[in-house]
Amino acid sequence: MGAVADITTIARWEVKRTVTQMSRATLPLAIVLFILLILVTGFAAQSGMHLQDGMYVAGVDDPAIAQLLASDNRFTVYQLNGEVLEQNRQAFDIVVIRGTVYGSGSERGKSALKTVERDYAKYTNRVYSRQDDLFAAYPLWIDPVNVKSELDFLSTQSGQYISARPAAAAPIPEGEVHTIPPPSPALAISREELRAELARSQAANSQISRYTEMLSSSDSATGRFKTPSQLSPPLPFDSIILIFVFIFPLYFTSQFFMMSIMNERIERKGEVLLSTPVSAGSIITGKALPYLLGMLAISAALTVYLRASPLIILPLVPVIFFFLANALIIGMVSRSFKELSFVSIFFSTVATSYLFFPSIFANVHVISLISPLTLIILTLQGTAYTAGDYLFSTSLFWITSAVLFYVGVVNFREERLFSEKRLVPRLREFIAESMSKKHPFLSVFLLNGFAIPFVFMVQLMCLVLFFNLPMPYSLILLMVFAALIEELVKSIGITTLFFQDSAFLSWKNLVLACAATAVGFLAGEKLLLLITLSQITESVFGSILFLSLGVLWLPLLLHFAGVFVVACSLKLGGKRWFAFGILAATVIHCLYNLYFILGWLQ
Amino acid sequence: MKFRHLSIIAKKEFSGLLNERTILLAILLQLFIALFSSFLMVGLTSMYDPSSLSKYSRFRYNIAYCGNDSALKEYLEKSPDFHVYGMDLSPAVTALSERKLAAVIYVPDTAPDATDPVKITLYTLQNDLQSAIVNVKLKDIFLTYEKDLRTIRAARLTEQPVPLQLPANRSGGDFYEFVYGLLIPLLVFMPAIIASALIIDLITEEYQHETLETLISTPVTFAEMVWGKVLACELLVPVQAGAWLFLLIVNGIAIENVPLMLLQVTFTSFVPILLGALTALHYRERTAAQFIFSTALVVVILFTLALPANPLNLLTRLAVGTAGAEQWVVLAGVIAIGALLSVATQRYAEKVGREHQTG
Repeated sequence: MGAVADITTIARWEVKRTVTQMSRATLPLAIVLFILLILVTGFAAQSGMHLQDGMYVAGVDDPAIAQLLASDNRFTVYQLNGEVLEQNRQAFDIVVIRGTVYGSGSERGKSALKTVERDYAKYTNRVYSRQDDLFAAYPLWIDPVNVKSELDFLSTQSGQYISARPAAAAPIPEGEVHTIPPPSPALAISREELRAELARSQAANSQISRYTEMLSSSDSATGRFKTPSQLSPPLPFDSIILIFVFIFPLYFTSQFFMMSIMNERIERKGEVLLSTPVSAGSIITGKALPYLLGMLAISAALTVYLRASPLIILPLVPVIFFFLANALIIGMVSRSFKELSFVSIFFSTVATSYLFFPSIFANVHVISLISPLTLIILTLQGTAYTAGDYLFSTSLFWITSAVLFYVGVVNFREERLFSEKRLVPRLREFIAESMSKKHPFLSVFLLNGFAIPFVFMVQLMCLVLFFNLPMPYSLILLMVFAALIEELVKSIGITTLFFQDSAFLSWKNLVLACAATAVGFLAGEKLLLLITLSQITESVFGSILFLSLGVLWLPLLLHFAGVFVVACSLKLGGKRWFAFGILAATVIHCLYNLYFILGWLQ
Repeated sequence: MKFRHLSIIAKKEFSGLLNERTILLAILLQLFIALFSSFLMVGLTSMYDPSSLSKYSRFRYNIAYCGNDSALKEYLEKSPDFHVYGMDLSPAVTALSERKLAAVIYVPDTAPDATDPVKITLYTLQNDLQSAIVNVKLKDIFLTYEKDLRTIRAARLTEQPVPLQLPANRSGGDFYEFVYGLLIPLLVFMPAIIASALIIDLITEEYQHETLETLISTPVTFAEMVWGKVLACELLVPVQAGAWLFLLIVNGIAIENVPLMLLQVTFTSFVPILLGALTALHYRERTAAQFIFSTALVVVILFTLALPANPLNLLTRLAVGTAGAEQWVVLAGVIAIGALLSVATQRYAEKVGREHQTG
């Protein structure tokens, strides 16, 4: 009961302080700015965005076509007669003479051609959808049907073509043939409905669709039926924008929390709070609670406002915890405001990329599921996701948040909060504090076990980054980076022990610590693999990242060898040899991967 | 105001930044974003325009054609991208799910000149990159077939669009607009935003760490202190923006008029930086100042973007090389706004300085 009372008291203080601090001076101006924001949004919607005005120069001999091009701000159009144009073709990105378009051949000219092509397609669509006989203007409709394959990720690494060599005869299915009734030749939607949908998809705002157009002709609104020009992998652009609407307020609120933690540290203001008998856990929970509730309330309000399914909130919860946990650590680690700004900008960029980029591939590839935001996109699109999907994309966020909160709570003490050391030594102190002095080996074991989710996050990020490079490069880069990251993380425990007390690291203790590291790393790896990542781990990429589930002693030996190399170079050469040790360990790791997984050295 | 005092303050802030190594993070951030943007380029291009990557072009995809014969079948058979097999629908779809085929097309018994449309059913694999590529390749063939059908039914149309003949070879240039029309202006302008967030930190820090009194007791006046900090932030802008442009050029993106772009962004950045300084002077507390400033910045940027020939648009035009004399008009306007804000900052700083002296 005591803890609950403490938490509510602190939460109440936090709210009261923020409210009084904010309302006195900022509220009036905030309201004015909010009204201005609405006005400016209205103005911008009316006048359009003018970021790309005048990118291209076009020369045209026909007034009708000049008008068509001039309706697009990106063109500066000159209407001249054909001969003049012919002589001055170099001055233009494109010229249109007697109804034929010529590009200049430069990159800008090529891009201008693409733009003309899209503008012209839009124009013809406008003409065609006005026709009374819609099916004379749009005689071909396509009904795309998705077939689920059992072999998902495994066989389509980076979109490679897998179905062997083309045979002379038609392929014969091996499994049982399911009878599929021939589809009906009629469209299930009436002509007028189709016309209305076509008009709507054409009216879609050009400012944003400018970018989507080059990828697909917007989320087709014509139900499932598409005209050929609409047939492209759909980029869920509307949903992606909505995601920013969701993430941005969360990011903002976590900034307030970060600042509140930082404020406790300025001029030792938090000393009073620390001198009370309230536990660090209660203080942090109490301080975080108002922000957590606020973020949930914002998300709920947005969901209601967008009339979206409440299921959207489920994947957002771990993201909220993740933001709060990182805000706590950043607020506790930074020495000054500028450091706070830079670290938090850096964190938010990395986190946003991790969340955002995979979700671009929401409809295309299962890899997108490593981001919880993909689940939100799927929900917005009306596709259901399974509990397995949820576990797959959110478990890393849950676990890392929990670990970070633990580190924060353990270190929420006077000597940590008010110290003025540099960022890296401070982080080392934080880790050292989280380790038990009495059971150093157990601590190293646990530290490595709990580091696994972070390792996976970084490695998955690399996977996303390198996934689209051509095949051999992506594999090589991924292999080197994965090895480097693993070796770095494994060295954290030992390095911390070394810096705390270099005398502790006798040869016997060194070997024991290395063993604890290897076992901890392996245990964490296997455990997490079993729970979640089966989809990716089965592929070649996965085998490099996470090692196979098969034989245990080989990877154990590898982990041991890697960390042993680092520890030895530390012990023998001191701090300066650390980088060398890491490099050597990475090389060993890569060679191991090459030999056992890819069999290249055999 | 003595320049020596300004440079002392600016130097102090620089050494603070270097000492904390936070500037390293900023550089790391730039690299990271550059990496991701190149990822976006390669990834998205290969996905949505597979022909742009040669590695896909050598593949011939197996597809099944089911249902009634049509001109479409001929087009498919003529295409270098596909091997077409005439099959029954059920075994074809099963073979597709076993990945023996890349797509299955079913064409119904609808005459080309019928009143009703021709409805083709296209089966592809779910969540599969290969399907995305096959879709793009099929799209072109479908478009040709659609054109044929439209010609057959042309008599029923009441209005024809103005004809325009596009060149047959239209490859390339896909991401030109994305890179030059969005990425470059955004990246080049980002240092200005970072610098304006930084000035708030620098000023509020003096208040919240109560180091102000010490600083005021030196010969440096309060206004000089503020301008020294502005100078430090301002100097960071061209350096960072230049680093961006350098990175982009190294990545093989040709950029014209680099010096002019840096000139524009340097003068433009005075506006957000001075806005930040004013907010910080007014609130003297980071949370409130940052909150108000970021909201104000969104308003200002949104408003600017809605204006034709805005400084960001100018960056785009300079980068592609289509900017004319109007750039000097824009620059003059930006300098005028900056000068107004400078006067306001000077007045405010003097006022605050007097308060400190008397109080």
